[in-house]
Amino acid sequence: MADFFSSMRVSASGLDAQMKRMNTISSNIANAETPGYKRKDTEFTATADRESFGEILKDKVDQNTQGVLVTDVRDDTHPQRMVYRPDDPHANEEGYVEMPNVNPVKEMADMISTQRSYEANASAIAAATQMANKALELGR
Amino acid sequence: MIGLFDPTIRALNQNLNLREENQNIISSNIANADTPGYKSKAVSFENAMRDAMNTEENVKLEVSAPEHIGSKGPENVTADVYDDPNGVESLDGNTVDRAGEMAKMKENEILYNASVESLRKKIGMLEYGVSEGGGNK
Repeated sequence: MADFFSSMRVSASGLDAQMKRMNTISSNIANAETPGYKRKDTEFTATADRESFGEILKDKVDQNTQGVLVTDVRDDTHPQRMVYRPDDPHANEEGYVEMPNVNPVKEMADMISTQRSYEANASAIAAATQMANKALELGR
Repeated sequence: MIGLFDPTIRALNQNLNLREENQNIISSNIANADTPGYKSKAVSFENAMRDAMNTEENVKLEVSAPEHIGSKGPENVTADVYDDPNGVESLDGNTVDRAGEMAKMKENEILYNASVESLRKKIGMLEYGVSEGGGNK
């Protein structure tokens, strides 16, 4: 049987995942000029909503309500930016410094998208709370 | 047999359960709006509910033995969950329409509130009846 706590847990998992994504983006922006830093990317995976053993059993039947989980924070595989700066202590033998492949514009766009997703999850929790409170009015 | 709870009350009760399930599916879609490969899910039960209500009033299957299958009452209506066929796949294979889900969530919330209100009125009428039309209300 469905309940509102399930909906709230799912939305909370969404808030958590978006928060982690935001942390990764901040890290990318902060390190946009750090030699040797590699851009990080979060990997989202849908996961069955479950709290207890009983619910794990139940999930064998009902797989429709899914939360989200950050399963990995990977390095971006795009090539690093090589900048010619022979005086830099980080420079290699040819005088090139390995700069991160961070594109600030892309990071900003990702940040806005993350913020919108976060807000959507927060609204979902607010809606579930409102509906649960409304149901309690039946007893008044 | 006419019980204390008429088909309308039972239908409203089941409607609340189904809307609750719908809320779960919608929040699941919203949580997974950025998950690659996730397919948006949709819930339908309105038609099944309408059929159940019509059957109740007009045609009723006679049940003369416990193993017979009777009419499907409103409390037996279940939600049909399926992958949303209208979903547009983005580059990462995700089909969630965020704005659409928010709209569906609001609609679901309003209809849930409407059902709760109707149920309150129904219960209020029953209370009026059992308190012999007066009481402290």
